[in-house]
Amino acid sequence: MTPFLSLLASIVAWVGTMLAVASVAVIGPARLRDAWTGLRARLWDARRAAGTLGAVLLASAIGRSSLQAVSELFGLQATALIYGLEGGFVAWVQSTFATPVLTAYFSWVYVYGYAFLLAFPVVAYLALPRTTTLRRVLVAYALNYAIGLALYTAVFAYGPRNVMPDMVTPLLFTNRPDVMLLASEVNVNTNVFPSLHTSLSVTVGTFAVLTREEYPRWTPVAVWLSLSVVVATMYLGIHWLTDVVAGFALAFGCVALAHRFVDPRNDAVEPSGDASGERPGSEAAADA
Amino acid sequence: MTRPISRRTALAGLGLAAASAGCLGRAENIAGRDPHSQLTLEINTTPADDDPSGIRIARQLEEHLTAVGIDVQLNAVGQTELWRKVLINQDFDIYVGQFVETEPFDPDALYGLTHSKFIAESGWQNPFGFTEISVDDLLERQRRVTGTERSDVVGSLQETLCRLQPFSVVAFPDALTAVREDRFDGWTEDRQPLSVAGLLELDAVASDDDSGTVASDGDSGTVSSDGDSGTVASDGDSGTVSSDDDSGTTGSADGSATTAAAGTGSEGEDVLRLVTTDDRITENWNPIAAEYRKHGTFTGLLYDPLVRADGEAVIPWLAADWERIDHDTLDVSLRDARWHDGEPVTASDVAFTYRFLRDTSLGNVETPVPTPRFRGRSSIVEDERVLDDATVRLTVADVNETVAARALQVPILPEHVWSARTDAATIAGFELDFETTEAVVSNNPDPVGSGPLRFVAATAGESVVFERNPDHFLVRPAPETDPEASGETGSGAATDPRAGIPSQYHGKPAFDRLRIEVLPSDISAVESVADGVADATAANLGPASVPRIGRSPDTRLVSGRSAAFYHVGYNVRRSPLSNPRFRAVIARLIDKSAVVDDAFDGYARAAASPLAATPDAVPASLAWTDGTDPVYPFFDDEGSLDVAAAREAFRDAGYRFDDEGRLLSRGQ
Repeated sequence: MTPFLSLLASIVAWVGTMLAVASVAVIGPARLRDAWTGLRARLWDARRAAGTLGAVLLASAIGRSSLQAVSELFGLQATALIYGLEGGFVAWVQSTFATPVLTAYFSWVYVYGYAFLLAFPVVAYLALPRTTTLRRVLVAYALNYAIGLALYTAVFAYGPRNVMPDMVTPLLFTNRPDVMLLASEVNVNTNVFPSLHTSLSVTVGTFAVLTREEYPRWTPVAVWLSLSVVVATMYLGIHWLTDVVAGFALAFGCVALAHRFVDPRNDAVEPSGDASGERPGSEAAADA
Repeated sequence: MTRPISRRTALAGLGLAAASAGCLGRAENIAGRDPHSQLTLEINTTPADDDPSGIRIARQLEEHLTAVGIDVQLNAVGQTELWRKVLINQDFDIYVGQFVETEPFDPDALYGLTHSKFIAESGWQNPFGFTEISVDDLLERQRRVTGTERSDVVGSLQETLCRLQPFSVVAFPDALTAVREDRFDGWTEDRQPLSVAGLLELDAVASDDDSGTVASDGDSGTVSSDGDSGTVASDGDSGTVSSDDDSGTTGSADGSATTAAAGTGSEGEDVLRLVTTDDRITENWNPIAAEYRKHGTFTGLLYDPLVRADGEAVIPWLAADWERIDHDTLDVSLRDARWHDGEPVTASDVAFTYRFLRDTSLGNVETPVPTPRFRGRSSIVEDERVLDDATVRLTVADVNETVAARALQVPILPEHVWSARTDAATIAGFELDFETTEAVVSNNPDPVGSGPLRFVAATAGESVVFERNPDHFLVRPAPETDPEASGETGSGAATDPRAGIPSQYHGKPAFDRLRIEVLPSDISAVESVADGVADATAANLGPASVPRIGRSPDTRLVSGRSAAFYHVGYNVRRSPLSNPRFRAVIARLIDKSAVVDDAFDGYARAAASPLAATPDAVPASLAWTDGTDPVYPFFDDEGSLDVAAAREAFRDAGYRFDDEGRLLSRGQ
């Protein structure tokens, strides 16, 4: 499929460029050079967290279609419930704020900005001498996907663009039909509750705030981008406000759980080597 | 009046009241009454991705119902789930959907839809639970009488149905289709382009190989290979393998086909590529599964009926001919045909089909389990007898010619496949009380029909591929198949396998393969036609996709009036929808003209009668004139809903509102 592949290529190009720029601007050339040493040890150190994330993504890719069938048959039919709860909020967002410029911006953010937002923390935290934050981010990602998949199965609902087509325009898909093809490869239109775009973005945003000492330049960028993604999900008519609220809850829950599961003291226990277990104090501070 | 006291307050005061002797009886009389509460109605329909128009009708109805004080739950569910809910489980208040037939249909279609004899059955037969003796009488009468008498009966039938509103007809849509004509042309414009007839009428645009030669290739080699693969595939699982075998054999055995088969990779073959948003055809090929079929177009190409309606004419299809012996009997003689697995199609298959549609359990389950589709048509045939291998005698109690011909329009099923599916349906070997049979719930993998297309392969949710059945009578010229007719004497009608079939279907379909791909929305479907990745859309297109078609130089919009009317269906088993006066007010809340203008952008025609697409069927009293409904005009207040008038109509019908304007009903 050509339009599909060209979109994929453009995402790779965009994200690659942004990663390169952000690496220099946020991490800095000096730290990047330093990060090269001990990289393999840190990767080895994070193998379990990365493995967990990989396993969750794999399970999601394999099991999604059958879970979708389960969801359709046995899931809570929540479209009417959510729509009854919030009514035309998303329609109001569109009718109040929609302009061609904003539509272009939010479409860009929803696809490219989001991909960059998820990718950069992995690079940035891998460059840190200790892997605690990296492992926490990876575990938080895995939790987001795992819990999100469970909720997708438990709750069967369509998004606002599918319920109120007279008031909510599927702005993303009318402007970028190719994106719809990509979206349908990754997800189905009944997986709206909660908004994983929201929860993963807010997860990154939260980590950016928690690590503002390490990467002060990243924090405002991440918070801005993640809030943009949050608004984009509703502005583009894809998610309900309810999905977004649930996405925030999921994000904070996952960050808290990731801090609980990944203890900085574990560094000392793991037979990984030099970088870890040297400065437990500073990590505990970031934890607070 | 004093302020009404909630039931809980009343109950709390009950103890106090009990203390004062003598008052206990009165308090009990009050507290024992069930309170009224706001009426809640659930509207079910499919989401915009599945069908851009139905949800718009539902939205308008939701707004208007809410405005008059009814609590509405607008529920979007997938197509399978919607029809499972409505047709199978009958667990709904209101639904918005499309009728099954796309070609203008005979008034007898209303028999299945509204006759009260089907009240206990699941499927497209009377999904509303409608019971009205006068309607039943009219439905029976239109089956018997002819000529102007029938027109009169059909007229009063429509008037009665429109007055009682078991469902509200909203509009007859234009079936919008985006096509490109560089590979196939002949897209029909006067009716739905993507119908069985529409697909068969397509012509391949001669570019490299002439598909005509391929169509008329010698069959003897293919027949024998069919026989081979039939024995292999009879266990059911190896459909894909066997078909692959076939195309291989066809390529090597037939000289004339080698040109096409040489590039079997994909380029050399004429593949018609369709895109749809409806993924049901990629996972279920059961012609009688009501919740998986929309209009039954593709299963209609897999399974042949005895006759096909072709415009106003009826043409013999699997039947070579049929003859009315007397009032009650009809003799049908069959063409020489084979099932896709190589078995011959016999009169006993036909007799089996009617027996089976009447009761898919064939007596294996205590109560009969009738088919959920084709029930109205198959109910015309009361008995069937095999006269010889190619002749079957059907008993059709005193029905007119038109209705008798309708009885012959059900898909004929192979007995050797479906007779194994007559047991009660089980899950993992457990027989649960579903009151259904394996035949109804089967996905019918590797479907074995006798139609012009046969199944090749499918990936659930993504795509399905069919190929031309090289053994079908449409592509089988008389002189070559008949070994005795060595001299070119193929003009004799008796030996021509296509006798009675209009010439536009000869040698069809014009494509070697039909590939249907599932896409997420109508917009992506149109885009892929514009990009040249597909030849036509098979999805319901919303008006928003029309400008996209215009922007693409190679893409053309083809549209034809569809008979598959959009309607609002009511579950009349449930109060207050059981009250025809209540339904009448609801019908007046639907602004059909606005729906046509806004939701369909003019690509539809509002109507009052379900027969509005059928020529000369609608009486003058039901004609849509001056933009208003002739029976239940919209409560119009200069383009918006006249809430006061609507509430007044509800009050006149005996309904009440609380002081906040909520329409009250007994606890549901």
